[in-house]
Parts: sequence; C-alpha cells; structure tokens
Amino acid sequence: MLDLPSLQFMAFHLLVGGYVLAILIAPLRDRKPFSRTNTSEGNTSQQSFLFVRYFGFGAALLASLSGLFLSMSVLTTGSALHLDLQQTLPFGSLSINVDPLAAFFLGVISLLGAVVSVYSFGYSGEYAGRKNLSLLVVLYNLFLLSMSIVVIAGNAVLFLIVWELMSLTTFFLINYEHEQRASRKAAILYIVMTHIGTAFLIVMFLLLAGTAHSFDFQSFRNSSAQLPSSIKTLIFFCALIGFGIKSGVVPFHIWLPEAHPAAPSNVSALMSGVMIKTGIYGMVRVYFDFLAPGPAWWGIVVLAVAVASAVLGVLYALMEHDLKRLLAFHSIENIGIILMGVGAAMIFMSYGNMPLATVALIAGLYHVLNHAMFKGLLFLGAGSVVSATHTRNIEELGGLVKKLPWTSAFFLIGALAISALPPLNGFVSEWLTFQALLLGFNISDLSVRVAIPIAVALLALTGALAAACFVKAFGITFLGLPRSSHAEHAHEPPRSMLVPMGVLAFACILLGVFPGSMISILTPVTTFLLGGSASALEVLNLGSLTIPQSGAGGVSPLTLVIFLVALTVLPLVLGLLLGGKLQKRAAMVWACGLEKVEPRMQYTATGFSKPIRMIFSNIFHATHEIEISEAASPFFKQQLRYELETESVFEKYFYEPMRSGVVAAAKFIRRIQTGHLQSYLLYMFIALILLLMFAR
Amino acid sequence: MFDAQSINLSLEILAVAILVTAFLIVSSRSLLFYVRLFSVQSFLLGLVAVVVATGFGEFHILVAAVLTIGVKAIAIPYVLNKIIDRIKVHKEIEFNLNITTSLLVCGLLVILADSVGKPIIDAQVMHALPVSKVLPESIAMMMIGLFIMLARKQAVSQIVGLLTLENGLFLSGLSITYGMPLIVEIGIFFDILVAALILGVFVFRINETFDTVSVDTLRRLKD
Repeated sequence: MLDLPSLQFMAFHLLVGGYVLAILIAPLRDRKPFSRTNTSEGNTSQQSFLFVRYFGFGAALLASLSGLFLSMSVLTTGSALHLDLQQTLPFGSLSINVDPLAAFFLGVISLLGAVVSVYSFGYSGEYAGRKNLSLLVVLYNLFLLSMSIVVIAGNAVLFLIVWELMSLTTFFLINYEHEQRASRKAAILYIVMTHIGTAFLIVMFLLLAGTAHSFDFQSFRNSSAQLPSSIKTLIFFCALIGFGIKSGVVPFHIWLPEAHPAAPSNVSALMSGVMIKTGIYGMVRVYFDFLAPGPAWWGIVVLAVAVASAVLGVLYALMEHDLKRLLAFHSIENIGIILMGVGAAMIFMSYGNMPLATVALIAGLYHVLNHAMFKGLLFLGAGSVVSATHTRNIEELGGLVKKLPWTSAFFLIGALAISALPPLNGFVSEWLTFQALLLGFNISDLSVRVAIPIAVALLALTGALAAACFVKAFGITFLGLPRSSHAEHAHEPPRSMLVPMGVLAFACILLGVFPGSMISILTPVTTFLLGGSASALEVLNLGSLTIPQSGAGGVSPLTLVIFLVALTVLPLVLGLLLGGKLQKRAAMVWACGLEKVEPRMQYTATGFSKPIRMIFSNIFHATHEIEISEAASPFFKQQLRYELETESVFEKYFYEPMRSGVVAAAKFIRRIQTGHLQSYLLYMFIALILLLMFAR
Repeated sequence: MFDAQSINLSLEILAVAILVTAFLIVSSRSLLFYVRLFSVQSFLLGLVAVVVATGFGEFHILVAAVLTIGVKAIAIPYVLNKIIDRIKVHKEIEFNLNITTSLLVCGLLVILADSVGKPIIDAQVMHALPVSKVLPESIAMMMIGLFIMLARKQAVSQIVGLLTLENGLFLSGLSITYGMPLIVEIGIFFDILVAALILGVFVFRINETFDTVSVDTLRRLKD
C-alpha cells in the first residue's frame, strides 16, 4: 500500500519532475525556442504560444503543489525524507534532506510558487508576440526548481550548485526585458553582488568541511563542537555576508531595489516573496543547526543589521515613486523584521532561555511565511496595475479603484497586512516579535539590556513608517482622480490573475485571524532546532498569543476582529437608531476658487512624503531645484519645474570608496604590465634570485 | 681506465671553460662572435658528456654527446649565421645594461650560484657522485643565460641567451644524474632545434614588420 515514505518519495519526484518536464518540453513546440524575440505571426504560433503557456505554468503548478504536499507531510507527521544519490561526485554523495526546517521553507516556496504559476497564465499574455515565452517558461521553472532544491539540499556541494543555478536563472530573469537599459544594469549589479556572496559561502563551507572532513550537512552538525571559536566567528561573518547579500540586508541591499522591479512581475513576486528568504534559510541553518549555540554578541550583531535594514528599508521606500521599487524597498524592511526575530532567538539561545528563543524564532519564521503571502500579493497587484496602465510611476496613476475594483481591494488587504495592522497576518508576527523582545529585559547582561529597547523602539518606528508609506502607495495609486491617460483607460485584468490575488488575500486574513493553528505547524521546526522542550505548543498560549509564565498581557486576534467589526458597525447602528433621517445634499466641490477640480490639484506622492523627508533629512540628503518661468509678471507663472533628488548614503560612503579603491589598486598593478618583453624576464630573474637566496 | 681523481679534474676544467665562454658572450658585442662562442661552448659540453660516458661507463650518454655536438655546435650556429647574414645586423649597439656592469653582475651571479650549489655538494657526504661538483657552474650558466636575455636587445642575442640557459640545464642534468634517460635527451634536442628554427623565422618576420630586430618594438603589440 501507499505508506508515508513512498508518498513523500513520489511527491519529491513529482516536484523535480514537474519543473524539469516544463523545462524540457516547453521549448520543443517552438520553432526558434531561444531566439531573442519571438514575433512569428500566424495560427500555429498562436497555438504553440497557448501550449507553452498552459503546459509550462501548469507543470510548475503541479510541481509546486506536490512540493507543498511534501512539506506538509513532513511538518505534520514529523518524519523527514532523506535521499542519497550514492557516489555521484568525488566529494561524497549528493543528498536531499527534507527535515522540518527545510520542509517549512519548501512549503513557503511551493505555496507562493503555486499561486504565482496560476497568475502567470494570465500575466504572460502580456508578452504574446512581443517576447519569447518559451524562454520565460524555462527560466521560471528552473528558478522554482533551484529554489526548492536549495532549501532541501543535504550536502554543501549540491547546495552550492543549486545556489549558483538560482543566481544565474535570476540573472537571466532580471534581464528578460533586456531591451531596457535599466534591466541590463540591474542584472549586472545583481550578478556581481551575488557572486561576492557566493564567494563568502564557499569559504564558509570550506571552513566547516575542514573540521568535518566531509561536505555533508550531517557531519557539519556533528563536528561543530570541535571548531575553535575563532573559526566559528569567521564562519559567522561569512554566513552573515554571504546570505545577507542574497537576502538584501543593509548594507548589502543595493542590488535589490534595482533587480526586483526589472524582472517580470510574476517573477518579482517570487524573488521578493521567497528568493530572498533562501538567505534567511541559510542563516537559520548555519546559526541554529550547525553552530548552535553561539555567543550572545552574534545575536546582537544580527539584531543590529536587522534594525538597520528595517528602518532604512522603509525610509527609502517612502521616497520611492516607482510602485515596484517601493515594494522592493519594503522587502528590505521585512527581511529586517524577520532577522530581528532570528537575532533575538540567537541571543536568548546563548543564555539558554529556550522558551523565549522559541517565541522569537517563531516570530521570525512566521514573518517569513507572512511576508511571502502579502509581498507576493502586493507584487501581483502591482503587476496587474503595470500591465493595465504600462507605467510604474505612481505619480501618473490615481483613481484606479473605479477601474480595477478587485485589484484595489486585494492590494488594500496586502497593504494593511504589510503595515502590521490587526487583524491581518503582519500584525501577528510583529506582535510576537515585540513580545519576544520586550521579555528580553529579563536577561541580565547589560549589552542585551541596552540593545533590546533600541530594537523595540526602532521596530515600532518601522511599523509606523510602513503604514505611512502604504497610505501613500495605496492612496496615490488607487484613490483620487486619474493623473494620466494611462490610468484613465485601465481595465481589470483577466480572472486567472485575480483569483491568485484573492487566494493570497484570503491567506493573509486566515493567517491573521487564526494564527494558533498555523503556528502549531511550526512546532516541529522549533523542536528540531532548539531541542525537545522548546515546542511552540508548550511555550505559547496559542489562543491569545502570550507566554503563560510571563504575566504579560495577551491579545487574541479573533477578539480583535470582533472588536474591529463591532467598532465599525456600532456607530452606524447607533446613528440609525438615535439620529434622524439621512439627507442628501448635492453641491460643487470647492476648487480653491478655480473653475473645477483637476487631477493636478491632488496631493502628490512627493508632497505626501515631504514631512518625513524633512525629519530624516540627514539620512536622505535631499536636494531640490525649483525653476519658475514667468510670462509677463511674477504673479502669473507660466511653468513650474520641480526636481528632487535623494542621495543613497551607502552608495556614496560605502560602495563608491570601495569601487574607486579597487580601480586604483588595479591601475597601480597595471603599471607592472609594461608590455616590455624584457621586463617580464626581469621579474622572473628577480624572483629566481630571491628564491635562490632566501628560500632554501 | 681513468681514476676518479683525473676524471673529476678534467670535468671541472671543462665546466670552468664553458663558464668562461658564457662570460665571453657577455663581454662581446659582435653577433657573429656570440654564435661562434656558443658553438665552442656546445662543443665543450659535448666533451663533458663524452668524459662522463667513458669515465663512468654510461655509454648511452655518448649518443647525447654526439647530438650535442651535431645539433648545438654545428646545426644551430649554422642557422644563426644565416639569419645574421640575412638581416644584416652584425653589432649590438644598444644595451639595457652596459658591458662593464653586465660582467660585474655576472660575477655576482657566479658567487650566488656557488653559495647555492656548495651546500648541496657538501650534503652528499660520501661524494658518491663526483660529477656533481660542477653543479655551481651549471647554475651560474643558467642565470647568465637568463641575464643575457635581459641585458641585450637584439633578437639574435635573445636566442643565444636562451640556448646558453639550455646548455646550463644540460650541464646540471649531467652533473646531478649521469644524464637523463636517452629518450628525454633526444626529445630536448629536437625541442631546441625546432625552437631555434622557429625563433629564426620570427626574427625574419620581426625584421620585416618593424624594420628592426630590437625586441623593444614588440611592446607595440600590447594594445
């Protein structure tokens, strides 16, 4: 009969097979599968286009659903899947290991992957006859496949291979709209950054393998106790930089706001929603699985990086007017929030406070899932807006709530979730993060007692700023009057694009209102990482999300929902009961004494974010320029031009000196390359003589 | 036959004579003289091989000796003479380092070679291999060969420098072992012959392309 292991085995093969099938079959129906543009006209090409579209994304859907099944089966039954591909490489056998941690991340990837695959049916219609769709299908499937294997790899060599595969497919996906210069630049920046990261990862794995004498993750785990502390510290920093670049933490974030918007929107949703989480996965794997427990200052370093990412991410997001770039900056912010949970868990773990560490880790991991849901939703929404209006600049949008009612509603839910408002899912994970951090006061170490209140305060600031940012993003994009003809003639996207958004919006609500049952799925993960006593069920009172022993106040999301609904309905009911009859009154809208209200009179995104720009002026270094051309007298202005520029502190003070340093060093070294035959002979001669004299 | 003492003595005399020819190459400025000195040097090297072969009963080295004299003392000098005739350059005019300084540097190189080679010889406590006493001379030859390539600008001097270096290698091969296996020796000889021919062709081409055989002009190839 079908028992669990064989079901899991089948699910794994369906997962890999589905993606590989799409990669192999999709280009076959195409006459010129990898030509740069595929604009051949006619009936057959239309047919093959549909085939590529449905088969390619259908296979991805099937594969990701079986991935989801595999992950759920591991998380609910707790029996891990382990596969060995014997003797495949000289470095030992490649192995697949779906333990609870891997299963959780595989689940997140597969869930979002499934939803986005459905969205892609409709979204890829935009590229009909314009771009090569087979290429997109192949890269899309390859991307999902490599991401899935990254988290379930049980061997460093396999991990690095698929990690690189993931980086390269992302490079090509960013470059998909290669006719735009911005895409090419973003892709180059991305590939440079990610390869620097991979270099650090290779160093890290070699350090680990040096003691373990094997590249297997299991042997890393067993031998980590023998590592000297200096090597451990080195590994810690290599992992922080290597995985940090991939997840886009400050100061390694510069590629992220360039690369995510450049990719097609369905891919941006996956990149922002799950790809950057592979970096989080790596950090959790190394810090909690291989090296645990580390010293407390590791946790403080991670916490500091996390806080910086959260605050700076949201501050830069506020200054953005490009919808997708804005969302990309919010990914930096949310990675920061996730890492706050992870960093706090590291601190608590080093003090042996496992219950608190469990709460903090749950907060971080739950935010991983939540961020995947709402950021996926927001990017899909942005994709719908972009494909309806063909602009990403929110200053040209407006009034879309009437043209795209469903998209607007879903986007609003996503915006509320990312702003951490109850009763949505963002609130739950941030609430848990707050709670874990606040209870950290009980730790007696001074540096922890100083670090934690700062983190709490800045997390609160982040939440407030995120809310402000999404008031701007939603308000300017969807409310008011259309600011351009693009926005005026927009239409609702097809149903295959709306349904996935609806699913994600529903997931946001579900994860927010009933967090208890969702968090209980995380129990095997925390038990796996933090030991037997650290089960989420024991530590957390899941109904009210409090820690029973702590005596802190609790909050039940369900109660909150009831309160919120009551607070909305109650005034209406009271008004109807106590107030008099409702009266209608029609009048002109006051337009400052001018003839009628024009779209140009509306509040702009730049204007909206001005107060924040002023408050944080020493971070933004904003410079603006106003140019007024007058007609006859200064009272009648003819034209007003306003230009605003904010400066990226990191690019100017971190990357620019580094870049010029590298160039200067290269120029210096270039001097010995004279091109003179005899100077090369001279180098050899001098080297020979020095060796003879000193190296005996 | 001969006693070890006299074999050693004759080997050392020959090695010093070879070193002297290398110094003479450094001290002269006529290209034809270089080639003639190189021919003499190779002939002396051939004699070393003959002494080693007969003195220690390693007769297969005789083949190497015949090849050395045939290829290096006769064939390559013949080719180089032809090249010099064809390109009509007989004198080295410009130097990277003038002759006096060059000789001084070469003297220092010999001292260095001696200080490097002596401990190796002393380490062989039993002196089981008397031939190895010429190791310092062979190291000096190699370094002088490289130095000639450095100090001179003419393409022909570069070739002579390279060949001197190779002679040094051969001498050290003889002095450390009783010569390398025959097949290796023959391989090296053909290598050298072919290298000399190809370098000769290159010198023609350089001369045609740049109207000079000074390797200075090759730096134009950089960009």
